[in-house]
Amino acid sequence: MLEIDKSRCVGCGNCHAVCPMGAISLDTDGKSVVNQDECVECSTCYRVLRDEGYPPAFVRAVRSVLSFLRLQYMAAVDVCPTGALTPPDLEYPRSLRAAFSDPTVVHEGTGVGGRGTEEIKTNDVTGRLREGDAGIVVELGRPGTGARFRDVEKVATALAPLKPHFEPFNPVTQLMTDTETGKMREEVLDEKVLSAIIEVKTKLDKIPEYLQTLRDIQEETDTVFSVGVASKCRPDGSIPHEKWVREAGYTLSPNGKTNLGLGRPLFREGDR
Amino acid sequence: MTNTLHRQGAAEDLSGDYVIFVTMARDVNKEGSAPKIHEFLRICQKHDPVNIGSSKMGTVLQDDVSFRDLATGLKDGSTSAAVFTDLDTLKKVLGELIEADLGISINVSGLLEGVQECCHSNGIERHSVEHSLGFWGARDLLPERDVLEINTLCGHGMVSFSLIRKMMEQVRMRRLTPGEAAEIMGRCCECAVFNTTRAERLLEKVLET
Repeated sequence: MLEIDKSRCVGCGNCHAVCPMGAISLDTDGKSVVNQDECVECSTCYRVLRDEGYPPAFVRAVRSVLSFLRLQYMAAVDVCPTGALTPPDLEYPRSLRAAFSDPTVVHEGTGVGGRGTEEIKTNDVTGRLREGDAGIVVELGRPGTGARFRDVEKVATALAPLKPHFEPFNPVTQLMTDTETGKMREEVLDEKVLSAIIEVKTKLDKIPEYLQTLRDIQEETDTVFSVGVASKCRPDGSIPHEKWVREAGYTLSPNGKTNLGLGRPLFREGDR
Repeated sequence: MTNTLHRQGAAEDLSGDYVIFVTMARDVNKEGSAPKIHEFLRICQKHDPVNIGSSKMGTVLQDDVSFRDLATGLKDGSTSAAVFTDLDTLKKVLGELIEADLGISINVSGLLEGVQECCHSNGIERHSVEHSLGFWGARDLLPERDVLEINTLCGHGMVSFSLIRKMMEQVRMRRLTPGEAAEIMGRCCECAVFNTTRAERLLEKVLET
């Protein structure tokens, strides 16, 4: 687990602000402490705050002198003055926190970093979504709230009766014990991550049902989730899923992600 | 990762925010992709992106990462990205990438109409599109709109709500310029998709209030 070395910490508080989960606070001894249950092991604090390498005794002495002169010690906002942050060495299932929260860590099961899925970004060469298919991605914990796998399971089990194709090269699917039910491994349910993506493939005409199910389940989740819908464009560049989303009563964002189709070998329907 | 899909903001703000990135497919074209990634980065760099990098090595905003490191050190399969702030530049970048015929998947996040225009002006048709349907669930946990706009500039949410508020406060107290504060936030985003120019503009608004 990420720890703060109390013998080095000078309680400047810089790591409190940088932590995406607000999991670091000032302890009663005036030094920072990590709430290990809330920490998602993203290592943002460790990576972003430059270690200035000052001896803690020196910083404390300077601060005492400044305090005597009624002046305040204020470290630059992007440093850990004394290098008190200690990087974690994680074991399963806690290691899942880093895999789903630290973009520099590659998911073992998919070989992909970040949230661990290629999604539509390689659709031109993989044919993950073909003509008539719709891709629906539900990213729990985003933006900025984090999610426990218990919430991920709640949404996955709500979607399961619709008989989706849970994308096999997705790390959330790989944590499921049964893709028919959306149930996940028991030991992971209390693990908290910055976000995790449920990724399903269905048919375009099923989009309204999926969105209705997500609307129904949203009151029962303890976190935020972001929803995305994707499809392969028609030869004229028009977007098949737009009609279905609009008819279901939802507003499409003016911005989005476009796969330009420049990958090779280009996937052709019927090839594989 | 859905990464850059959920960037928030008015159309006017989004019109200055285009992220272009390469992704390799496992078992298809990942092997031997390193030189193509380097070439992608070289083409992007020619056009002065406001951010460029890869989650494998970080962003040029970080003190210990140089463009030279990225353009020579990235290995096969390293998803890499660059951020541009106008459509004309994006069109030029796209034109050069098409000409280079790298054979790896290239995606652009941004206003869909604008990206479509870029495709047409370069004689190609888009392949696949993904839309955001916004944020659902416990939305009462979300912060104020300006904080959310900056937070979503990092696809993985590495720029915390509290850091954004702290940077706003530092700018308000004139301890940091909007540019300095934007760069500090940009260093949190390992994948280099954080648009520092847009963040700077959002922080300038803090000074106006």
